[in-house]
Amino acid sequence: MASPAVPVRSRVPGLPWWSLVVVAAALFVVYAVLQENGVALGQVAQVVHEFFHDGRHALGVPCH
Amino acid sequence: MATHSYPGLLARGAGAGAIAGVAAGMVSLFVVETQIRAALAVEEARNAGAVGHEEMFSRGVQVVGGVAAVVVVGIALGAVFATAFAAVHRHLPGGSDFGRSVALAAVGFAAVGLLPAIKYPANPPGVGQAETVNDRTVLYFSLILGGLIIAYGVGRLHGLLAARTSWPAPWRATAVAAAAAAAVIAVLLVWPAGPDAVPPDVPATLLWRFRLASLAEVLTLWAVLGVAFGLLTEAPKSGRGAEAGNPDPVRGDYQGRGLR
Repeated sequence: MASPAVPVRSRVPGLPWWSLVVVAAALFVVYAVLQENGVALGQVAQVVHEFFHDGRHALGVPCH
Repeated sequence: MATHSYPGLLARGAGAGAIAGVAAGMVSLFVVETQIRAALAVEEARNAGAVGHEEMFSRGVQVVGGVAAVVVVGIALGAVFATAFAAVHRHLPGGSDFGRSVALAAVGFAAVGLLPAIKYPANPPGVGQAETVNDRTVLYFSLILGGLIIAYGVGRLHGLLAARTSWPAPWRATAVAAAAAAAVIAVLLVWPAGPDAVPPDVPATLLWRFRLASLAEVLTLWAVLGVAFGLLTEAPKSGRGAEAGNPDPVRGDYQGRGLR
């Protein structure tokens, strides 16, 4: 970026390939908690759904 | 060179996400649950006399589940946040890793939290129709995708303007903000309205309070995530800020003020 007058050195590294795996796994966890209705987890989904039910509504995710 | 490894950054993201999840969980527990309770009372009155279905979990367990949900989501979100931060931090405003972290959280809240809250606001139990849940889910997630694409496009536009024009910074910022506003308005107009009508027995005040409470929980999640990740990433470990490979006047100043 050309705009800042004083460039501040960042200590952040480049990304390894497995960062994609991390993101995919994290998004799956979010999906399992907030959206899973039986497609990926089958029978367990009902339990997961009921347990996290308040959280789904509270975070504004569509729910029945 | 960088002193954070990606695993180190990831750990900070997960940690910040856990902190943010607990903070948002407190909002869930003390603010959102009050409105959920009121909504369940409406639903119960509606179903009075009908054969009620057996709940799998008691209310107490579901309240705990509501807090657990946002803590788990917070940790996962923190991991995604840390990865996104590593990928785009060079393009973020803020002047320091703390500022960049807060900026990224602000963008994330706008695209993933605020935009869907405006177009498809949260509903308490007893409002959504079961038959439309798939349609609503597609609308909801496609809108978030649209928001993320706008955020990415705005960043690209700013980079292009900086590289190809000699506009002063305020002009550039104004042009980028105007483009972002136009894109958001276009998306809000193009995406179809949510399919569900609010049932007449749900009071308007209950709906309004629930939506504000829900937005407060989402805002808490993003705000605490941005601040906590920023603090964990920015604050030097004892002695390391003075390393020869890390000659940073800003960080030196922070050290002088004892921010750890």
